[in-house]
Amino acid sequence: MNDVDQLIISEEFENTDVSLLETLDHVLNRGLVIAGEITISVADIDLIFVGLNVLISSVETAHEVLGKRETE
Amino acid sequence: MKLYAYCLCADLETLATPVSGVSGAAVRILKIDDTSVVVSDCDTVPATHENMLVHAAVVRSVFEQTTTVPFRFGTLANEQQLRSFIAGHKAAIAKKLAHLGDRVEMDLKIVWQHQTSRPDQPEEAAGPGTAFLRQKRRELLGDDQAVAHRKELSSLLREDLGDLIKDEEMNLQLSETTVLGKVFHLVETLEIQDYRDRISEIPGKRPELAVEVSGPWPPYSFANIDLEFGSQFGVS
Repeated sequence: MNDVDQLIISEEFENTDVSLLETLDHVLNRGLVIAGEITISVADIDLIFVGLNVLISSVETAHEVLGKRETE
Repeated sequence: MKLYAYCLCADLETLATPVSGVSGAAVRILKIDDTSVVVSDCDTVPATHENMLVHAAVVRSVFEQTTTVPFRFGTLANEQQLRSFIAGHKAAIAKKLAHLGDRVEMDLKIVWQHQTSRPDQPEEAAGPGTAFLRQKRRELLGDDQAVAHRKELSSLLREDLGDLIKDEEMNLQLSETTVLGKVFHLVETLEIQDYRDRISEIPGKRPELAVEVSGPWPPYSFANIDLEFGSQFGVS
């Protein structure tokens, strides 16, 4: 990327008005997926473990499964 | 220790602006052959509002510096997985970086007042087997009507935006009278203003089409590389 492009992108970002919802839509629904695992927390309590494109389970079950896999 | 991955980019040595990563972890660059992966060392990443925004901020910061292929939030892998992914997709990554170079993603929210035609005759009653196969066909080929609308909308937008569109993705929802959707365009960085100007002319020319533009974004909607995900990680 050349200097002009960098400058334009920086200025555009400063001037842009992107909503929080759109930002979350981008990071959660788009982008390259190779593998992944996230833990969904509410009020600092881990509720759901999500293996991206793989599984959705409770944290407890996921830990159990992953623990088994590691010992195999 | 696992690595939380934010994005891939071409040869990047250092981050121009120091940024803090997910869960407060440091952000660093992992060099794998000719590719740089922007990562943080961490074993778990809670899907908190704060971490999602941090992911977006790190990707954006790198994108301001160089061509970037953003990972989806939650990409946590060990170094060996990242190395084997990059080694196994070297050509595809190089092609993707070349395609995205000096370009940004612009997003359109679309409300299109458009009478959607329904088949004159409903599908004849079918047993569960036929219904299952029809559903599978729709899943594999896409709903015929949605495909037709996608083509029509794409063609309308190309009439107005012409060769400013370097690539396009869309996600449409149909009702009987309206098409709602998001359209994602890959646009040259130098042509962002031209793109905005042409978009602003659309309501005058096409009263049936309401359009709202946002961007520029890092190219999240154009980031996917054709992956052999199952063979790569043993997952289907």
